[in-house]
Parts: sequence; C-alpha cells; structure tokens
Amino acid sequence: QNTITGQVTDADNQPLPGTNILVEGTNRYAVSDFDGNFTIEASPGEVLQVTYVGFKDRLITVGDDTSITIVLQEDTSELDEVVVVGYGTQKKADLTGSISSIEAEDIVKQPALTATQAIQGKVPGINIINSDQPGATPTVIIRGLGTALSGRDPLYIVDGMPVDNIKSISPSDILKVDVLKDASSASIYGLRAANGVIIVTTKQGKKGKAKFSFDSFYGAKSILNPVEMANANQYIDYFNEGAAAIGGYSLQEDQLHNTDWYNELAQVGSINNNTFAVSGGGEHVDYYFSYNHYEEEGVLKDHKYRRGTIKNNNTYRLFDDKLKLTQNLNISFTNENPKPLGAFNNAYRQSPLVPVRYENGRWGQSFVNQTTGIVTYEAGPGESIGRLYSHGNPMADVFFQNEKIHTTTLQGGFTGEFSISEDLKATSRFGATKYYFDKRVFNPMRERWIAGDPTRTYEEFDESRKNATNEETGIIPTSWAYNSLSLEDIETFRWNWDGFLTFDRLFGKHHVNLVLGGSKEKTNVGRRLYGQGYEVPEKEQYWSIQHVSGFFDNVTENVYYTPRTLMSYFARAQYNFDNKYYITATIRRDGSSVFKAGENFWENFPSFGLGWTLSNEDFLKDSKHINFLKIRGGWGRLGNQNVPLNIDQIQTSTGSANQNYVLGPNQELMFGASVASPVKDLTWEIVEEWGVGLDLELLDSRLSGSVDYYDKTTKNMILLVQPLLNSQFAENFYDHGAEVSNKGMEFALEWRDNISEDWSYSIGGNFSYNKNMVENVKPAYDGMTGGSLNNGRITKRLEEGQPLGAWWMYEVEGVWQTQDEVDNNASIEGAAPGHLRYKDQNEDGVIDDRDKKFFGSYIPKYNYGIRLGLNYKNIDFSVDGFGVGGNKVYNGLKNTRTDNENITADTYNTRWTGEGSTNIHPGADRDIEASDYYLESGAFFRINNITVGYTLPDFSKYVSKLRFYFTAQNPFMFTDYSGFTPEIIGGDGGNPYRTAGVELSAYPNTKTFIFGINLEL
Amino acid sequence: TFLFYGCSEDFLDVDSREKIEAGDSEEVFEPDDFVTSTYGMLTDWDYAFSWLGVTEIISDNADKGSTPTSTGTDKHFLDGLTHTSTTPSIAAMWERWYKSIGRASYAIEYAEEYGLTDEDYKNRLIGEAKFLRALNYFWLVRMFGDVSLQHTDLLTRAPEEEVYDFIEQDLLDAIATLPNKSEYASGDLGRATKGAAQALLAKVYLYKKQWEDALNYAGMVMTSGEYSLEPNYEDIWRVYSENGVESIFEVQARGEQIAHGVNQYSQTQAPRGTGGWGWGFNVPSEDLLNAFNEEGDTIRRDATIIFRGETLWDGREVSGSVENPMYNEKAYSSANLGDADGDKNVRILRLAEVLLIHAEAANELGDSNTALTSLNQVRARVKLPEVTTTDQGQLRELIWKERRLELAFEHDRWFDLIRTGQAGEVMRAHGKPFEDGKHELFPVPNDQINQTPEMTQNPGW
Repeated sequence: QNTITGQVTDADNQPLPGTNILVEGTNRYAVSDFDGNFTIEASPGEVLQVTYVGFKDRLITVGDDTSITIVLQEDTSELDEVVVVGYGTQKKADLTGSISSIEAEDIVKQPALTATQAIQGKVPGINIINSDQPGATPTVIIRGLGTALSGRDPLYIVDGMPVDNIKSISPSDILKVDVLKDASSASIYGLRAANGVIIVTTKQGKKGKAKFSFDSFYGAKSILNPVEMANANQYIDYFNEGAAAIGGYSLQEDQLHNTDWYNELAQVGSINNNTFAVSGGGEHVDYYFSYNHYEEEGVLKDHKYRRGTIKNNNTYRLFDDKLKLTQNLNISFTNENPKPLGAFNNAYRQSPLVPVRYENGRWGQSFVNQTTGIVTYEAGPGESIGRLYSHGNPMADVFFQNEKIHTTTLQGGFTGEFSISEDLKATSRFGATKYYFDKRVFNPMRERWIAGDPTRTYEEFDESRKNATNEETGIIPTSWAYNSLSLEDIETFRWNWDGFLTFDRLFGKHHVNLVLGGSKEKTNVGRRLYGQGYEVPEKEQYWSIQHVSGFFDNVTENVYYTPRTLMSYFARAQYNFDNKYYITATIRRDGSSVFKAGENFWENFPSFGLGWTLSNEDFLKDSKHINFLKIRGGWGRLGNQNVPLNIDQIQTSTGSANQNYVLGPNQELMFGASVASPVKDLTWEIVEEWGVGLDLELLDSRLSGSVDYYDKTTKNMILLVQPLLNSQFAENFYDHGAEVSNKGMEFALEWRDNISEDWSYSIGGNFSYNKNMVENVKPAYDGMTGGSLNNGRITKRLEEGQPLGAWWMYEVEGVWQTQDEVDNNASIEGAAPGHLRYKDQNEDGVIDDRDKKFFGSYIPKYNYGIRLGLNYKNIDFSVDGFGVGGNKVYNGLKNTRTDNENITADTYNTRWTGEGSTNIHPGADRDIEASDYYLESGAFFRINNITVGYTLPDFSKYVSKLRFYFTAQNPFMFTDYSGFTPEIIGGDGGNPYRTAGVELSAYPNTKTFIFGINLEL
Repeated sequence: TFLFYGCSEDFLDVDSREKIEAGDSEEVFEPDDFVTSTYGMLTDWDYAFSWLGVTEIISDNADKGSTPTSTGTDKHFLDGLTHTSTTPSIAAMWERWYKSIGRASYAIEYAEEYGLTDEDYKNRLIGEAKFLRALNYFWLVRMFGDVSLQHTDLLTRAPEEEVYDFIEQDLLDAIATLPNKSEYASGDLGRATKGAAQALLAKVYLYKKQWEDALNYAGMVMTSGEYSLEPNYEDIWRVYSENGVESIFEVQARGEQIAHGVNQYSQTQAPRGTGGWGWGFNVPSEDLLNAFNEEGDTIRRDATIIFRGETLWDGREVSGSVENPMYNEKAYSSANLGDADGDKNVRILRLAEVLLIHAEAANELGDSNTALTSLNQVRARVKLPEVTTTDQGQLRELIWKERRLELAFEHDRWFDLIRTGQAGEVMRAHGKPFEDGKHELFPVPNDQINQTPEMTQNPGW
C-alpha cells in the first residue's frame, strides 16, 4: 500500500473541504481538510470513491502516482435541485405542487434594478409587466389576475422572512428565486398567498477559501419604439383643416419654428452597476459580504435613480453542528431625482410650431397671433393673441421640477436551527424591516408663473400679488407666493417571528416529513410626517421648514399608522413511498387584526397534493428514453387580506351641504346627518384552485419539460359597488359581489446537449395561456367602470362573463362622410363629417351607453418566452425573447387630443380629408369619445437579451475567472401598436380599473447596450 | 418558549391610530339629525338647475333663456322637447328624489328605534319624514309614472297606483301625527305641518281625479284657521313674508354666513350679460306674457316677470343690455347677488293653490257655486273681475287658466298640462314635437336601466 496524497477541487479549482474518499470494498476512508487536501492508504488497482453533496460521484482507480488531483463536477440535474417550499426545502423530484425556480445566472444576465424584471419570460404562468422608468416596480401576475381592487402583489419571502417588496435587494446577491404558483404549494402561507408566493434565497458563503468577485457593467439606453410626430407643415395642414370644419382662424404656411419635442425631451440614458463580493467559510462560520452600487439615468432628462446595497449573510455552526445560527442583513440606500412623467404625455401634445425657448431665451408657450396666423406671442396693434391649447411647456416642467427622494431600508433576520435528534429539528426565526423615506419638493412658483408667458415680468408678478392681497388682513393668497417647499418623512417597521419543528425520517421505503409551527407578524408600524411652507430663501442650503416665511399658512400633517397583526398556525405532512407515490397535506390557520371587528376573523387554509413518479416503477425503470416522468395534482385554498375597507357610512358637514337645513324665524342652521353607504362586513378574499401537472425528462435527460393545467377561482371578490340610482345610498361602497376565475395551461420545454468538449448548446421555451372571467356577479353589482381618460370618458366596465378590466366602448363602423349621413342616421351629439361613426348596437336610433360593447382585456391571454444558449470553448452566446398576445391596449394619447394639440405623422398621413377619402380614420375635426378605433392589439414579441461573452483562459494563478461580455437588452420589439409601448402598468400599480393598458403618459420602453466584466479571484 | 411564545389572541387586538373608533368618538346622532338631512336635500343644487328644466323650461311658460350657445348641459333639449333617456337633468331628479326618500326612510327607522321617550316628539319626527317621503314620491310618480318603491324592489317598477297608495298612506300618517303650523314652537318654523300634509294630499287626489277627497282635504286646510291669503300678491316672494300667512310649505333658505339655501337657485335664474348678475336660465315665454296681458292681469305679470330695463321693487335697475327680455322674478332675491347659496325660500305649497284645487274639485263634482267662491278669492286679490259662469266645461278651462297665471314658475305648469290633457295640443301649437302616448311621461334614466336592465322603459322612449 502506498500513501496517497491528493486535493479535491471543483471545476473552478476551488478546494472542496469535507469530501469523503472511500477505498471501495474496505473501511479505509479520509475526509478532505480545509484546503481540500487528504491522505489515504491505497494500493494500485484499488478504486477510490469520492463523494460530496451537490457534486457528481467519482470513481478513481489508483495508479502509480501517489499525488493526485481530483476535480468534481457539480451535479446539475434539475431533479436534484433543492426547492424552497416555505418553512423547509424539498428536492424538485419530490414536489407535488407547481413551483418554478430561476437560478442566479439567469437573474444577473438581464441587468435590472429588481430581480422580478429579470424573470420576465423565463417562467410559464408568470406574467410580468415591466416599466423602463428608473426605479419602477414591475407588476407581477401569477396564474391570472384574481382580484379587482385588492392587493395584487405576490407575497415576497426573503430568506424565510416576509418583506414588502424586493426592490432593496441587489439581483447579484440572489442565489435563486422559487415561485409557488399553485394553491396546493402556496397555502402554507395562507391568507397572504392569493397572488402567489415568490421566495428569494440570497447567497451564503461556502466552505473553503475566500472567494472575491467583482462584476461591473455600463450601458447606454434609448427609446426602443419612438413615435414619429407630425412636423410643422403637417401640423399646419391638420390645424387648418380642423379650423375649416369648425370655424376659426387659420395658420400661415410660413412659421418661425419646427420643434421635434421628443428629440428635445429625450436623451440617451445610462445604467451603471458595480458589485464587489467576498465569500467563504471555515469549520464553524460561513460568510458572504457584498456591496453593490446601481445607478441609472433615464431617457427623460435628469431623471436619476441610484441605489447602494450592502449584504451580509453569516452562518455559525455550534455544538458539533447541532446548532446552526444564520444571520442575514441587507441595507439599501436609494437616491432619486424624479422628473414629471407627464412631460411625455405633454410633449406628444406640443405643436412643432412652438419653440422650446424663444430667441430671447424665454420659455416657449403655445401663443398664437390669431390675426396673422403666426405661432408667436408677439402682436401688432389690433392683433389678438390666443393659445393653441392650455398645456404648458414640458421642457419647462422638467426644468422646474426639483424633487429629491431618499430611502433607507434595513432588512434582516436571525435564524436558529437546533437538531434535537437526527430526525427532529427546531427552527426559530426573527426577521424585521425598517424603512425610511424622505422627500423634498421645491416649487419655484414665481419662476413658473414667469415661464407661463414670455411677456410677464417680475414687476407684474409683484403687482398681481399686491392686488390679490387682502387689504384688511394683509394675507397673501398662497398661489402668489414666490416658492413653496414641501417635505415628507415616512418611517415604517415590520417584524415577524416563526417557530417550527421539522421531523424527517425514512422508515424503510416510507419517507415521512412533518412540519408544525406558528408565526406572528406585525406590519405597518410607523408614521408619516408632512410639512409644507412658502417662500424659503433661494439658496438650496436654506430649504427647510425652519426658513419658510411666516406670512403664509403652513401645512403640517401627521399620521401614525394603525399596525396590522397576523397570527398563524401551520402544519404540513409529506409522505412518499419508495419515491413513487407522494402525498402532501397542508393546513394554515390565520387570524388577522384587520378583520378583528368582523365575526369570522380566523380562517383555515387547507391544501393537498398527490404525485406519482411513473419512471420509478418497474415498467419504466429501465427505459432508455424516459428518464423521468411524474404526474401530480392538488387542490388548495388561499386568502387575500389586502382588501379595501369601507369607511364611515354616516355623513355630516359643518358647512352648507344638503345634510343641513335652516329652521325658525331667524333661520338657524341645523346640522343634519345622513347615511351614505350601507354597512357591509368585509373579510378576506378567498381563492380556491385545483390543478394537475406532468414533469418529464427524456433522451438521457437532454430533453426536459413540464405541462400544467389549473383552475382557480376567487370566491368572494370585492367590488366597488355604485349604489343604484333608485336606492337610498349615495356613496359607492365595497362589498363581496362576484367570482373571478382563471383557467390556464402552462408548458415548458428545454433541450440541452454537449456536442463535444468544445461545443454545448441549449434551446428552450415556455408558453402559458390564461382565461380570466368574472362570474356570478350579484344582481345590480356589475357596472363598475374604470379606465378613465381624464376627460370624462371611461374605457372599462365590469360585467359578468367578461374578463377583469374588460374594455367597454363604442364600436366604430366608419367615418361620417357627409352632413346628410349624420342627419339621417343615429349619431351622437355633435357628430359631423370626418368624425368617427359609432354603431347603434341596439338599433334604437340613439347612440348612448347601451351601444357600448365589450372588447376583451388589457391582460394578455398568453405569453411565451424562448431562449437559446451556445457555448464554444471560451465563448458564450445567448438570446432570450419574450412575447404576449390576445390582449388589447388603448392609445389614449391619440384619442384624447383636444384643441390644437399635435398628432402623429401617421395620424396626419391617414386622416379623412373629405367625402370618400377614407372610411377608417377620422379627420382633423374629430370627437374625443372612447371607441375601438383607438383600441389596438397589445401583442408584441421582444428580444429581451442578446449576450456574447468571452472568458479568458487561465492566464494567472491568482485569477480564477475573467469574462468580458456585451449585452443588447431589448434591442428589438415586434408590435403593431402605434404608441410608445404596449406594456402599460397604469395607475395604482396595475389596478385593472385604473389606467392599466391605457397609454396616457406611459414611460417608453427602452433599449440598452451594455458592456461588462466578471472577475473572480 | 423557543418555539411558541405568547400565542394569545390579544396580539390581534390592535389599537386604531388613524381613525377614531366609534366607542371613543363623542359623536352621537340624534333622530332629529336624520330628519334635518331629509329637509336638507331640498336645498341641493339639482333644485336650482335640473328641476327648472323638467318643470318649467320644458313647458309653455318658460324658455331656456341665457345665451343661444349656452345650453345649460341639456336645457335646450328640454326646451325643444327633444330630451332622451340620457338627458342628465332627468336622471338628476330621479336620483335626487330617491336619495331623499332613502333619507326619509332612514330617519323614520332611526326615530322608531332610538328609544325616544317623548312619544309625541317621536311621532312628529316620523310624521315630518313621512311628509317629505310622500312629497318626493309624488314628484317622482307624476314625472315617470310607474316607479320602484324603494323599500320593496329596486329592480322593477311598481304600478303607479301602488305608488299613489303608498304616498296616501304616508300623508294620512303624517296628518295624524303632525302639529298644526301654530302649534309648533317658534324655533321649528319651517317644518312640515298637518296643513302641509293635508294640502299635499289634496293635490295628490287632484292628480288622481278623486274629486271628493281633493275637495275634503283642500277644505280642511281652508277652514283650519291657520292660513289666509297674503293681501298683496307680490308680497308672497318677499323676505318678510317667508313662512307667512299664506305659506303652507316652503324650502327654507338664509343668506348669512354660513349661507344655506337652495344652492344657486336665484343665481341660475337672474339676468345675464352686461349689467346682469346671474346665468339667465328659465325665462318667461312670450306666450306667458301674452296670457297675462290677455287677462289684463298686470299685478301677477309684474310680480312674475322681470323686464329688461325695469327698476325692481327694491330699487335695483335691470340694465337694458342684459341678454334676455324677461326673467323669472319669483326667483329674485335682493340679497345674495350671484352667491352660491341664496336666501330665497322656495314656495312649494301655498293657500292660493289649495283654493284652486278646491275650486277644480268642486267644479268636477258639479258644485259650481263652491268652485266660484274659491276661484274668485284668488282673483279678487289680484283685482281681477269675478268669474260667474256655472258652465262646468267653461269653468274648468277658467280654473286651469287661473292655475297657470297664479302659479307660474312654481314648478307645476308642465304637470298641469299633462294632468289636464292639454299638453299635446298646447305644445304642438308652439311647434314642439309632442308625441301623444310618449311625452306624457319622462323616460326612465338610461343610467338606471344600465344598472337594472330588468326595468321597463316608458312607452315610446
């Protein structure tokens, strides 16, 4: 026998401590030390069996060499992947529910502020609507939208701790993201899980030498899908055609300016990201520390967002590894200079004849000399000046907007795991988030007033101010202050505590895993303080409430939030027989302080799941083609506690209101009271879902895929009910009043293969389809409208049998060609030749609400992602694409044109110009009704990411990896939509009855070209 | 304790910090508060604009007024009799009356359950609310015919007959519990009285052509000793005669801070344009002026119509350059120029109308002497010669004409035209497209039918 010394490393030459080395057929064995080194007695010809968790086993036949290096390959079979399921983990092969995972490399590949942005298109069943506005939060819809008005966000769990969002976490710190999509797996989170659960696990140190990494990239952004607006000549034509139709002055051919407003407003933005991380581990401590700095400047001038993140995760093992303590800490600072997004909307409406600034340096405004027909503020004697439209100068708006937002988020926790026995483990975990927000807005009111008209002077301002001043009291109206300053300060805190026992044991072929625990949580502890004052000194150093003028009434607002508490018990039992038959049962019991006033504020959320791994049965065990095949199914119930609550139903007023009355000879004012809305006891929305699925791996596991079907129903959706006109109630009120169902299919398929040592490739895709429908609406409860265009027109309505946020508007059946046609047919008030002609659906000779029709929804019916990866030697190449379809979006910018606002070049080119010119497009004189003319397909396909990388071959023993890469993010989009972007989150974070899907001031999609490096030491 | 600490339900008891909990609030609502808010409804803005459209502008007494391009949203449709189920003024009144009915019903319920120990006081409050509920239902039923009874079914319409039965019962209950005008404490001046309920019931019977009942209830008001005619007709609209001898029920309003009256009632109808001070809507028609002149009725003409360029009774000169030749003087207030809340008490029921109801009922019953006595009281005040004819048909026409002149701009003309079957002939003579079998009723508002598609629409709409 020889004494053999050796070292075990991973593919990156990192030593692997704790590897087991056994001489086959003997009891001689060794364990590698901290540097991966070991010594063992073995004779030539004997076989060493090298095993390490997470790596493929290796058998090495001992030769004459007494010094060997063993490289272990990571075991990348997806089925052995560990999935976080909530209060525990499970092997992917053992799942009975529908859970999707995204790995670190896929997350960092798509440079983004938040990991959710990077998930878009990668996972079937998750529809993510992105906004490219700096610092924006994308909306995430998992398996269809299940609520009209309640919280729509999934529950985010980071390292076991619930958090409000994951905006404060750098994607580079994320190890993996697991998404609990179905009720049977999400019900362990009970009444917060109705919108799905996104579980984020951050990176931990690994045993071994310290590893340093530095990642950096820089990119340039520009508008992906610009819209060409009409130029000066086109604008003049259009204007004059409109004027000819309705009367009024016309514009001259020769004008002074031809401004391209988007060109002025938009710039090439930038993105810059730097991450430094160090990690490692010893016998008793693992550590991970990182610092990330992210900086973005948007395509809107001076719109900046910066974030710094510090992450530290440490694990301590004590008492022979019986007690494991984990500490997580994430600190993030953000610094934002927002600019008015309304500028995009406003720029759309600006006439090209108006300059950004006049020759004398004053801001351009829409003044027009109505006598000469020249767009200018200057007039000769007897000439009259008017305005083309009431909007101000968007460049001035951007210039004057002076706003700063800072936030600090401290998020972290402590987990203790104690092994009571080999089978039984107790876990206790405390997590907390402290959040600070402060915002300062300085508004130079006098400067804005001056900018509003190039003829105004400071003397005039003071004169007007004097005239507006109350002579008796000396009070100056606040609208005539020189400037205003407002400050807002928010501070919130939340904490949670979980305690649970885990029992895990194999009895022969029976594998049992039990979890039993409780949880408490308190959120919304905090306050808001707001102050506003007027006339601070001009120098920024004095911008505080301390220096505001005493002449004006200052505003102070302060509220202490009412905290919310949640108390829960949960249990889960998992059993499988011989890795063939699986059964999971879960129950969670939740009580929420929000519903304490109601009768049933405790609710149970049960679920179960079943699975059958056919490929482990004898008849498939030896199949060459089928490596894995499993069918699974389950049912579960979930809740949503973020529901709107009714406020006081009794109305009073101390002024002159229709509650009050005067009586008696002196007509004394009597204060009365009235009931505004009925008392409705609201509680959580309940979701029930069942689903079936199939996972398979074929052809040496080169082909893997899954299929899922689900049927999910929100049983008691809360609606904002408009009281019937003939009912006693005057105010809208909330009540449980409908169901909403989401039924869908999900497919995922991937092929990966290594052709040779040098060549490997993968190709994959996913597709999901969802049908959303409102059902069983209580009588007279439908009719909730939304999608306001801010001009008195609405575009959406809730009705049984339609999807949530369904479009509802007139159907266009052509263009009025002659006045005669208008007079002899049903038409709306004010119809004229060149206007769109709306269909009289009920043929009653009148065009009114009853003629409006449903036109589907802004929510895509299907979405899909594709990916292609290629590796050749040291070169890596990948392409990712994402698309949606079956949805419609509303071009509100085009629709809401009033007065003499600008139009797109396309609108100009296609317009109606007289009888017979077109029966599709309206003319220069048109109305502003909402109709399907402005409703367009929202389908698009976008190449999300093209990346080419080159990893330098080993060039230094100190550098384990150096890679350069080039990424084109969103370089191409294929869509028929005529606006800036078909991805429109809308107001209130995607509320289906606000402006979701309506482009009114949406931030354009951007494309980004990025160069970056990854360095590892 | 490592695993479970303090899992008690107290954890879920969180103190409210944003909103004061009901138990910690000092606010206690008295039954009277809800009755007050039912009266308060009468001061809503709808009565200053929509109501003008559906009661007067639509009729032969009044035109839209204002400038030709200023439509008042839909007043041009009403004036031209081209209104539809989406005309906002119609929906506004429909909704306003139903909300008022809702407030009245809640006030009744609240008063019954509150635990008031003073039975008379409780019954009076309930009586007031029932009077107001009846008044609102009456306005609804005469405008729309079949309407839903709020306490039974909101989705369908109850037959007109049932609605009238409900109104009748409310008024009989109110008559039984309400005090006479003179029995109220001074501070309660302006509340609904027994006389008001009787007068309204007489008017309801008039619409139902229950002549005997109309005669009886009108007679009760006349002989109650509570009311007499104001000696001078124009005094009825002066501040000093608010709640005066002739007043049976009127909407209370004051001009001082906090001003509270029918929101903008005087302003919408005041002269418009250079030298004017209002919006100039709801102006007397040429036809009304002719009617006064043909009758030689200068007293009522001059009390009803502001003429361009005239000097008003309070010395105000109406400029010769205001937009329209005539305006409604009954809405005029010396104070509150252009203010949102006028001080004008809007007269809803007064003795002269009761006399005319009495006259009409008596005539229909063949008692022309009684009819003439009542009729001539009204005429005598405005110095018009006595009517002497005993021919039932002739007398009927004369009483109708008297109603028009006496009650012009008191929000009854359109319904009198419909009730007496004259509407089609009269309106068509004015070139308005009145369709028999359709325009007798207003359309149920489209917004309501959208909400409750089960509800039937009136014929022709």
